[in-house]
Amino acid sequence: MSATADSPARRALRRFLRHRLAVFGLLVVVLFILAALLAPWLSPADPLQTSWTAIRKPPSAAHWFGTDENGRDVLARVLYGARASMAAGVLSVSVALLIGVPIGLLAGLAGGWVDALIARIADAMLSVPFLILAIALAAFLGPALENAMLAIAITASPIFVRLARGMALDARATDWVEAARALGNPPWRLGLVHVLPNIIPPLLVQATLSIAEAIIAEASLSFLGLGQQPPAPSWGSMLNSAQRFLTQAPWLAIFPGLAIFLVVLAFNLMGDGLRDALDPRGERR
Amino acid sequence: MTAPLLELRDLRKHFPLRDAIGRRRGAVRAVDGVSLAVPRGTVLAIVGESGCGKSTLGRLALRLIEPDAGSVLFEGEDLRALSPAALRARRRDMQLIFQDPFASLDPRMTVGAAIAEPLRLHRITPRAGEAARVAELLERVGLRPEAARRWPHEFSGGQRQRIAIARALASGPRLVIGDEPVSALDVSVQAQVVNLLADLIRDLGLTFVLISHDLGVVRHIADRVAVMYLGSLVEEGPADALFAAPRHPYTRALLAAVPGRGIKAPPIEGDVPSPIAPPAGCRFHTRCPHAEAICRTEPPALTGGAHLAACHLQDRLPPAPPLREAEPGGDRLRRLQSFFQPAGSDA
Repeated sequence: MSATADSPARRALRRFLRHRLAVFGLLVVVLFILAALLAPWLSPADPLQTSWTAIRKPPSAAHWFGTDENGRDVLARVLYGARASMAAGVLSVSVALLIGVPIGLLAGLAGGWVDALIARIADAMLSVPFLILAIALAAFLGPALENAMLAIAITASPIFVRLARGMALDARATDWVEAARALGNPPWRLGLVHVLPNIIPPLLVQATLSIAEAIIAEASLSFLGLGQQPPAPSWGSMLNSAQRFLTQAPWLAIFPGLAIFLVVLAFNLMGDGLRDALDPRGERR
Repeated sequence: MTAPLLELRDLRKHFPLRDAIGRRRGAVRAVDGVSLAVPRGTVLAIVGESGCGKSTLGRLALRLIEPDAGSVLFEGEDLRALSPAALRARRRDMQLIFQDPFASLDPRMTVGAAIAEPLRLHRITPRAGEAARVAELLERVGLRPEAARRWPHEFSGGQRQRIAIARALASGPRLVIGDEPVSALDVSVQAQVVNLLADLIRDLGLTFVLISHDLGVVRHIADRVAVMYLGSLVEEGPADALFAAPRHPYTRALLAAVPGRGIKAPPIEGDVPSPIAPPAGCRFHTRCPHAEAICRTEPPALTGGAHLAACHLQDRLPPAPPLREAEPGGDRLRRLQSFFQPAGSDA
């Protein structure tokens, strides 16, 4: 659909840009994505290159973020670690959306026993704490970043099933969907052309918040040794090895911790801004 | 008389009520055995209080909801016998206009896309001629062709209803059902939209079913009127005859309730009984000033030739008092128009 005149998308963008914290969040997110993509060019050193002459050196001109217990550059490892975190956040939530939204739409629009079955399974999965389920799945799949991402994707999908189902149920009861039916739309067109575009805003908001959760989950899994495997860098595994040197070399924990804090905060701020910008109550006027 | 365009035979729709664990606990008898015929090129109004089942009846007639029993014949063909795909194809011939123009247009579709949708669904106009056809439809309902590029939220209620009308007319339907098409609009706009509908019905030779509780509007455009009470018809007849000499006490009470009407029927008391457990016998007997013993036990049949009423006492009722104004609805509309339209532009 082209954005002519005053499209809903354009008005939402305008409202989003008025939201300062959200724009700040967006900028930080963009910076981290760029850091992840451009790590090989931005990084001052090879993140895997050890050096026996530079073990646990505090931040200096040569090593801005200091070096770790194997003499590796912490800045380089934080930059490369962004790859694992952003991939875990963005990719696993994308997969979760691809799994959850079609299933939720199907449940909401089909109704009957299909709906009852899907809704109960989603509720059962949601009743288990997010991280516990992710840990269990990751342990079952075996320690690797890809497996951790898959575990996070599966764990994050029921929230989208439930959201898409609820929104589809609401949409099914609206006059415009009944009007679309009265015009002769087949069921698949009702779902894809009339329901889906109208439920994207809340899904987008939830996706942003889920990315923040997924980044924490990836860090936690890596911290436990279930995610990114050494020596490849990940913020979570960096924190794990940093805990032994917390008093002698606090920079080992501070920089990856700060990165996690910043990126999670940024995604949450962005999500809040999106929610305000896409609020249906702002749609009229 | 030729075969009616739309014919409803003993339609029934009960919405089951369930308790917390899904056991059936009675049902709302929304439509309980309604038979009606709508001849080609006529306007039938279905009137009644809110909750009497008139909107449900409209949706049953288009098979937007499935009836529990009875049949819907459209051009002699039973809609209930059609496959889902055949029914979808049939929808180009029968359309619905909704009450709330703020809810009936997809907020994420431009006006042009909304009006073009039926053209595409039924492959009516080639893509190249689509824009021209949309512009033509917009002009037909009194909007500028530029409106096609804009979004529903940019329009007022009256304009949105015109858009919804254009969308309903796009596929060239033979039957249009208007479910309270003007009740949600400002009074100043109602008259304009009613006149637009009247013009379209005349010019396009539409068969129109008007579901309404506004007897002024009904009087203005209906050829026949059917009165519903608690899911059943209580009276049906030519509009002139029904307004001049209502034969059912409920119809008299409805007419008496119109502000400014001169008719002096005894007022009805109490609330509408629950459609979950409608009264035995005549459903109106709990509120009827004339009710006798038979009314409490025997459900009355709809009888009386061209002007039907379902009342045991219809031949013994005191004659309906005459109306004070010959044409109250039309008069009200004319007053409204003179108020809101520039002088001389009155149609």
